Amino acid sequence: MPLPRLGHDNLGLGLGLRATHYPHILKHRPSVDWFEIISENYMDSHGRPRYVLEQIAEHYPLVMHGVSLSIGSTDPLDRDYLKRLKGLADAVKPAWVSDHVCWTGVGGRNTHDLLPIPFTEQSLKHVVERVKQVQDVLERPFVLENPSSYVQFRGSTMDEWEFITRMAEDADCGLLLDVNNVYVSTFNHELDPHEFIRNLPHERIVQFHLAGHTNMETHLIDTHDNHVIDPVWDLYRMAHELTGGVSTLLEWDANIPPFDVLHAEVLKAKRHMGEQLQTDDSTEGSPATDDTHEMPIDDASWVPHPLHHMVAEVE
Amino acid sequence: MSDDTASSPDLNTIQKWLQSVVTHPNGVAAGVESDAAQQHVALTRDQLEQLVTRTSNRSAEERLNVYAHAYYARLIDCLGEVFPMLKRALGEEVFNSFASDYLQEYPSRSYTLNEMGRHFAQFFQETRPDRDEHASADNDLPVNWPDLLIDLANLEWTINEVFDGPGIEGQPTLTHNDLAAVAPRDWPNIRLQPIVCLRLLATRYPVNDYYTALRQADENDDIDKPAPAPSWVAIARRDYVVRRFSLSRPQYALLTALQDGATVGQAIEHAAEHADHLDDSAFAEALQEWFKSWTAEELFAPIENA
Repeated sequence: MPLPRLGHDNLGLGLGLRATHYPHILKHRPSVDWFEIISENYMDSHGRPRYVLEQIAEHYPLVMHGVSLSIGSTDPLDRDYLKRLKGLADAVKPAWVSDHVCWTGVGGRNTHDLLPIPFTEQSLKHVVERVKQVQDVLERPFVLENPSSYVQFRGSTMDEWEFITRMAEDADCGLLLDVNNVYVSTFNHELDPHEFIRNLPHERIVQFHLAGHTNMETHLIDTHDNHVIDPVWDLYRMAHELTGGVSTLLEWDANIPPFDVLHAEVLKAKRHMGEQLQTDDSTEGSPATDDTHEMPIDDASWVPHPLHHMVAEVE
Repeated sequence: MSDDTASSPDLNTIQKWLQSVVTHPNGVAAGVESDAAQQHVALTRDQLEQLVTRTSNRSAEERLNVYAHAYYARLIDCLGEVFPMLKRALGEEVFNSFASDYLQEYPSRSYTLNEMGRHFAQFFQETRPDRDEHASADNDLPVNWPDLLIDLANLEWTINEVFDGPGIEGQPTLTHNDLAAVAPRDWPNIRLQPIVCLRLLATRYPVNDYYTALRQADENDDIDKPAPAPSWVAIARRDYVVRRFSLSRPQYALLTALQDGATVGQAIEHAAEHADHLDDSAFAEALQEWFKSWTAEELFAPIENA
C-alpha cells in the first residue's frame, strides 16, 4: 500500500506562476506556499521568463506542469522535448513534474489542445508503457492530471476513473486531481463527480488543481478565467477528506486578476479542510461564490485551457 | 460504454480521424466528410454517434465542435500576440483570416507555441497576389502592400526571437573607453564581435517607424501606411527588454560586416561604399559618433585579449 501522497510533501496552497504577476512577486515576495510553472514557457527560455524563474526558485518550492508531453499519442515520444524537460527539471529542482492524461497531436502535428483518449485496454497499455519511459528519462516523481473533456468515445470500455486508477497503479506514477476538471467533464458527460473522486486511488493523489470555468448551460468549458464555484469547492472538500490533504494549486489563465485576488481565491481552500482547517481570518469574511457565471453569447469565443504563450517586452 | 470493441477503430486511427475532424477550417460537419477524415474512418455526419457518444441535450457533432472551435481560436489568438502590430495594421478580421489560412498551410509541429509564427512572413511571401493584378489605374492602391506586411511580420518575429533568445544580461560589454584604449595603428585590424542578441534587418519599407506609429496609436486610429523606402533596423535586448534602432545604409553595412567577421578596417570600407554623400572628414566624424552610440547601447562584446 503506497504512503499517502506517495510520500511526497504537502506543499500547501500554491498558485500558477503567470508573467503578469512577475513584478508583484519579485517586489513583495508574497506569502504563497509554492508556485507551479508551465514547463514549456521556461524550458527554452534565455530571456526574462527564465531569469525571473531562477529568482523565484530561490524563495519558493516549485512544481513543473507541462502541456505538450502528449503521453497518449501514438506518435513516438518526443525525445528532444523530454531532454529539454529534464534539463529544466535539473535546473529548478521541482517537487515533481506533471502533465495530462491526453494526447496533443498525431502525425507530427501539435494541436496545442488536450485531446481525449478512448478508455480502452489498448489505450491503457499504450499510456502505461509511455509513462514508464518518461519516468526512466526524468528520474523524478512524475504525476498525471485528468483533463477536462467534451466528448466520450463509443468504444471506451471503462470509466475515466478506472482508466486513471489502473494507469497510475500499473505505471506506478502519481496523480494530479483537477477537481474543476472532474466537475466539468462529469457535467459534460452526465456522470456523477462524486463517484469519480470516490473511486480514485487516493494515496496516489499528490496534487489538486482548482480553477474557474464557463457555464454554457448545455455544457461547461474549462476556461480558467474566473473564481472557483461552490460545487467545485464541495468536491474539493470531499477530495481533501479522502486524501488527507495534498498540495493544492489554483490556475487562472484568462482575465487574470491582480495577484491579491488570485491569492485570496486559493486561500479559500482553508475553509474546506474540515477538522484540519487552519483558521485564516483574511478569508472568513469573504462571500461564497455561487454558480452564476453568465453564459457567453458566442461559443467560439470561449477557449478551453491551455493557452500559454509569453508575450515579448519591447521598447 | 461499449462491451464490444471489435468494431472500434484502433487508437492510432481514432487519433488521426479526430485530428482531421477538429482541425478542419469549416468545422466538424465538413471535417467528418473530408477526405482527410474519411481515409481513417469512413463515417458520414449522420453516423458520428457510432464513434462519439451524445448526451441528452448535445449531439456528437455539437460536442466535437468544442474542440474544433478551440483549435483555431486558441492558435489565432496566440499568433495575434506574436504579431500584435501586424494584427493592428490589418485589422482583426483580416488578420484572423490570414492566420487561419496560415495554420492550414503551416500547422504547429513543435511542442512550444513560441515556434508557431516562424513561417508567417514566408507565408505572406508565398501567397502574395500578383502585383500586376492589383495595380490600379490611378496608382492609389498600395501595389507593394504585401512587402510592407512581410517586412512587419519579419520585424515582429525577430522581436519575438530576441526577447527569449540568448542575451548578454549579466555579462560585460565593450565600453567607449575600451575602444579609446585601442592604439590607432591596431584599429583597422581588430575585430569587434556584435552581441549575440543583435539582429540586423534590411526592409523595403520604413517598417521600424511604422511599428512605432502603430504602437503609439489609439486602437481606433487610422495609421497611414508608409511609402516604400529601403530601410534598415537593428534589434537587440538589454535588461530583458527588446530595443529597436533605425539604421542608415552605411551603418547597416558596417554592422553586418562586423557580424560576418570582418575587421574594423574592412567593415569601414564596406560602409564607405554606401556613404558617398559624406566627404572623408564627415565620414570619419560619423564613424566616431556611431561607435560612441553603439558602445553606449552595449552592442559589442569586449575585445578578446585586449
